[in-house]
Amino acid sequence: MRRLGLILICSAAFAQGPLDPADAAWKSVAPVTLALYRTPPLYSTDTAAPLEIPSVQLQVLRSAGSTFVRLEWADKSRDSTTLPKAERAWQSERLVTQSEATGRFSDACAVMMPTKPVTGDVNPSLQMGDAGHPVRIYFWDSSRGAALMEATGRETTKRTGQTFPAQSQYAAGKWAVAMQLPDLPQGTPLALAVWNGSQQDRDGRKYFTIWHQPR
Amino acid sequence: MPEHQISMVLDLNKCLGCQTCTMACKKLWTDGDGMDYMYWNNVETRPGQGYPRNWDKIGGGFEDGKLRPSEIPGKEDYGQTFEYNYAERLFQGGLQTMPREEPRNTPNWDEDVGALTLGENYYFYLPRICNHCTNPACLEACPRKALYKRAEDGIVLVDQDRCEGYRYCVRACPYKKVYFNELLGKAQKCIFCYPRIEKSEATACAKQCPGRLRFIGFLDDPNSAVHKLVHVHRVALGLFPEKGTEPNVFYVPPFNPPRAGSYGKSVLEDSRMPMDYLKYLFGDEVVDVIRRLEGELRRAQNGGTSEVLQLLIGRDDGVRYQIPKHGKLIQIPGARKA
Repeated sequence: MRRLGLILICSAAFAQGPLDPADAAWKSVAPVTLALYRTPPLYSTDTAAPLEIPSVQLQVLRSAGSTFVRLEWADKSRDSTTLPKAERAWQSERLVTQSEATGRFSDACAVMMPTKPVTGDVNPSLQMGDAGHPVRIYFWDSSRGAALMEATGRETTKRTGQTFPAQSQYAAGKWAVAMQLPDLPQGTPLALAVWNGSQQDRDGRKYFTIWHQPR
Repeated sequence: MPEHQISMVLDLNKCLGCQTCTMACKKLWTDGDGMDYMYWNNVETRPGQGYPRNWDKIGGGFEDGKLRPSEIPGKEDYGQTFEYNYAERLFQGGLQTMPREEPRNTPNWDEDVGALTLGENYYFYLPRICNHCTNPACLEACPRKALYKRAEDGIVLVDQDRCEGYRYCVRACPYKKVYFNELLGKAQKCIFCYPRIEKSEATACAKQCPGRLRFIGFLDDPNSAVHKLVHVHRVALGLFPEKGTEPNVFYVPPFNPPRAGSYGKSVLEDSRMPMDYLKYLFGDEVVDVIRRLEGELRRAQNGGTSEVLQLLIGRDDGVRYQIPKHGKLIQIPGARKA
């Protein structure tokens, strides 16, 4: 039964092509290596987190009216949980209990881009855009999946309620995540972020790149 | 600053440690998915490790006006949860009702253990809910501003739509009264039973308390028992005032008799319960509070009347609760800022 399920998933992935991060199509796309930086600690009592993940590789592939992006980065630990479905159900026969931990965080990544085409060479603020330069964030979490977010500056990020196609693979100490985005105009700048669950990353505690314009 | 501040006073001398409040809260609010380990109301034995384990020692709150967050307590610190295996035991002929694993920590792990002072045992129960602080560290710590303090009554709530489960609030709260629901990815906490309070009904923990030790009202209501106990008679104190959050839950400290050989003497002369321990929990002012309580007791023993003791007896709901109905604004005759 499990075997059959695997076959079905694989065939679906092949049908979607580049959405599978292991798909052969990615072999022909040269990756760009982008340096990752740590955000500063939030509290003076927190020590600065070490730079465990120095870089992320980005590949961009245009296919069938979509822009596919593939992010790959080295991460020694796979911090991901399969969470049972919670339904806020007070009436259920048996409660879904808390699975394991209160203090664990998941690996995640995101691709941020300006919502409106950039005029001139002024990109939105790296801190989630700003009032005049709203941004869209395609966020993927290894435990909770993909979510589309919007922001107009720090502390304004909100979920749109929409999701988007994304697939991931963790093998040999590396995450590879492929996302299917809308067809992006040529020259759209992208900024990437990576969260390392084992470093208690979440929110603004993360790795980030500066803006990059894929060719 | 809220328009008015709801508050609770708990008389620790009346707490039986029966956990009825804990169960009332559990059945009403934390009976949902992912909430099994949460006790928005808990009762812990003091001295003892508390719930979560060592919450009072790990940090949180403010120091010199700056947040001093702790680590996030782990599942082990909250204690194990389990369900009785009724289905198997009652209907399938199974023999095992309890979990097979030996529990290593539970929310009131050191129940009734206490400590000794020169061979004499002492302990007391400490019921705890969110303190709905005037200066909430949880609110200060949240980068999403998901926590807020209601303008009308000062109740601190988590906006479940804004919360992203970052747990900065868990780290910041010095009382460790914000919990993380991993299944929903949200922080959750005591809501001071606001749907009940809005209808002038006492919180579930207070309403169900067989010891009648909880008083509820607005701190700025001159006619409320909480106002009188906290501001007029000054016999109730907040927990860990040095944490800088200005808690709005207050305790009448345990007034144990002196040690057996010192019957008739002042509690402060030969205290069974070390004053240093009470100072640790409630600050130095606790000595004055004990002195005031002792004075009230003497007065009553000498045939006088004591409004404090009459209040603390808390004969009926009318004495213990003064909760005006919530309209657009809460109307409290003669209210002044606490």
